[in-house]
Amino acid sequence: MLSYILRRIASTLPVMAIVALFVFSLLYIAPGDPAVVIAGDQASPEDVERIRQSLGLDRPFLIQFGSWVWRILHGDLGTSIFTNLPVSTMIGQRLGPTLSLMMVTLLLTIVVAVPLGVLAAWKAGSLIDRAIMAFAVFGFSLPVFVVGYVLAYVFALELEWLPVQGYTPLAQGFWPWLQNLILPAIALGCVYIALIARITRATMLEVLQQDYIRTARAKGLGQGGILFVHALKNAAVPIVTVIGIGIALLIGGAVVTESVFAIPGLGRLTIDAILRRDYPVIQGIVLLFSFVYVLVNLMIDVTYTLVDPRIRY
Amino acid sequence: MDRRTVLKGLAGAGGLALSGLSAPAIAQGASARTLRFVPQANLANFDPIWGTQYVVRNAAALVWDTLYGVDSALQPQRQMVESEEVTDDGTTWTFKLRPGLKFHDGEPVRSKDVVASLTRWAARDPMGLMLKALQQELTAVDDRTFKWVLKQPFPKMLYALGKNNSPCAFIMPERIAQTDPFKQIGDYVGSGPMKFAKGEWVPGAKAVFEKFADYLPRQEKSSWLAGGKQMLIDRVEWIVMPDPATAAAALQNGEIDWWENPIADLVPVLKKNKNVSVDIGDPLGNVGSFRMNFLYPPFNDVRARRAVLMAMSQEDYMRALVGDDNSLWKPLPGFFTPDTPLYTEAGGEVLKGKRDLDAAKKLLAESGYSGQPVTCLVAQDQPITKAFGDVTADLLKKLGMNVDFVATDWGTVGSRRAQKTPPGQGGWNMFHTWHAGSDCINPAPYTAIRANGDKAWFGWPNSPGTEKEVTSWFEAKNLDEEKAAVARLNKVALEDVVYAPTGFFLSYTAWRKNVSGITKGPLPFFWGVSKSA
Repeated sequence: MLSYILRRIASTLPVMAIVALFVFSLLYIAPGDPAVVIAGDQASPEDVERIRQSLGLDRPFLIQFGSWVWRILHGDLGTSIFTNLPVSTMIGQRLGPTLSLMMVTLLLTIVVAVPLGVLAAWKAGSLIDRAIMAFAVFGFSLPVFVVGYVLAYVFALELEWLPVQGYTPLAQGFWPWLQNLILPAIALGCVYIALIARITRATMLEVLQQDYIRTARAKGLGQGGILFVHALKNAAVPIVTVIGIGIALLIGGAVVTESVFAIPGLGRLTIDAILRRDYPVIQGIVLLFSFVYVLVNLMIDVTYTLVDPRIRY
Repeated sequence: MDRRTVLKGLAGAGGLALSGLSAPAIAQGASARTLRFVPQANLANFDPIWGTQYVVRNAAALVWDTLYGVDSALQPQRQMVESEEVTDDGTTWTFKLRPGLKFHDGEPVRSKDVVASLTRWAARDPMGLMLKALQQELTAVDDRTFKWVLKQPFPKMLYALGKNNSPCAFIMPERIAQTDPFKQIGDYVGSGPMKFAKGEWVPGAKAVFEKFADYLPRQEKSSWLAGGKQMLIDRVEWIVMPDPATAAAALQNGEIDWWENPIADLVPVLKKNKNVSVDIGDPLGNVGSFRMNFLYPPFNDVRARRAVLMAMSQEDYMRALVGDDNSLWKPLPGFFTPDTPLYTEAGGEVLKGKRDLDAAKKLLAESGYSGQPVTCLVAQDQPITKAFGDVTADLLKKLGMNVDFVATDWGTVGSRRAQKTPPGQGGWNMFHTWHAGSDCINPAPYTAIRANGDKAWFGWPNSPGTEKEVTSWFEAKNLDEEKAAVARLNKVALEDVVYAPTGFFLSYTAWRKNVSGITKGPLPFFWGVSKSA
């Protein structure tokens, strides 16, 4: 297993290299120029050109790419064109809020979606099943920002239970930290709860038809034991896969959620960097995200072995 | 149903619901000595000479002081300077600094700091560049005295040193000011009324300023950048909120104290909330514009440009932007900011009265236009340019023009408008923008009115008559001469259609009612602002 994990980690290197080349090339050919944004609206073309030169943006593609790769190999993600801060510092500042949001959302999703899916499968065809599936369709259909605004209106403006916006680091207390994350996590989690509840239901329905479930019932096993010990464990592989994919999708959803709830996370940093053409920041974030994707996939593969002993690497 | 509709509806519902409530919001326990402010844009960098965006200037005005400051009457007043002398021939200026001025690191402000700061500023600012061209020497005489010797008089010297247009002549310690003006500084030490808390800066999210205990305010009453900058609060937190609905909700909920620039859609909601005050923020407002490319057909022919001017309706542009709120706009038959001393409508008849589409079409035909595509760049991510672009596309189609509508983002427009290649090869025929009214009060900061061909702003207008009158203004010895020069300038610039003004528009600012002392001006002034619990 250990050698498998090491092999998989090693295999991320060429993936990251390809991602790096792809992102760098894409940004190079994309329209837009950070020097123009820096110079401001009243700047002369000569000013813009001088800024381009000072940033090294006038150098040929290969030289720019080579210099960037060289820095990456030395663990340096570069410096933001706009803030003059190291990209790693900027990512570090934003990592906490995004990780917190993703963790709370993921936890909420698993805690709500899996039992709902199991319940729907158990009560297949009943009113409960239909209600859960209707909720799932609803969750799929509503855009994150609509859910976000409705939640903010009800729970922040109307009831005054929770704040509208912002982020408080965990170091300043658990409740202040959680308080700022509840609404964003629900807004972001809706679609994933719907997705995972549906997958759980479908997989559970299939498993519940199996002979060993009938045998378990015949042996007089309780409903809870059948559902959560025997059936769910065997239905877990596709559910874990979808949860893994969901983590990747959460990163995309975080962009909108962080904007709606003014959370200073990586999603907002990405959008700001793209709009300003802050190339080093975009490149740093994309590299980080691609690494996270690869890592999540690895974790999913490892998790398979825990839920299904037949799977070995 | 789009995002904006949802946003407006929910914010509206929130406002209505809250307007009758008196219970304090949960997040209102923050210290009354801290002001939480939502700026118009993200403070992505903090070098007011290197990055000339308005948001940078606004933040910089807290941290760095200026030698002079323009007041609400648009007159430069002494700020860091105690006295000045100019020789009879107007070529040698001697300035003396106020005693006791200190930087945030405890070091005194010395003449050598001023010399280095002005040298850096002069490399980037249009007026600074003019001064640099005239400069014989700029030297520190002693710790409090410096001298600027010019080859010929520059009557607008004090205005140049005190103007609020970006880049302002901010004074930095010599070690910082010696940074190449095209490279960014990384040390934010100033001598202004607030210190920048670099450790708390999260670019794109938050910037914090703390009161500078050793700041020595002038004794005069404050007026814009002039007078005594008395800080009545200890800490100002700039919180960046990309979503206007969130900012509106946070203001209603008491999570923020002051929102610099609420969008027009949400203002009715804020006005209904009894805990929120709303008023016009900057009386100098903005001048909307679209620029035509003088280098290529059809707009290399003045008749084509005039045809567009004859047909355009400023009301259409303004309504598309501000809706039915008539207090937010004015027609602008000229280029200069209304209600300022040099405002003029000379030559503005072409923009007044009923629009004559037939005459415009005839003139366009005379220019030789024969249906070639007109590449119109429109940034969709800026509500102002989006609104203007839609109106222009309609206007051009009515004129019978073949519109190549390039819907893109502001970053791309910014890059593409600098291209001098033909429209079909990456260039363009027209793009939309706007100018802060404070940049349009006279020709000095008004880059967009310059018409010196290749050296002019994007579109590269070539109008020797316009340039002649810009020079006349710089040489004017009194206000009457200035007014006459600007009237001639307005007329000739309209005749040659240096650019097309789409109207004058204002915007609101909004704050909690427990905040007082907010004044109208071209930037948010924090001195004199206080907050009760």
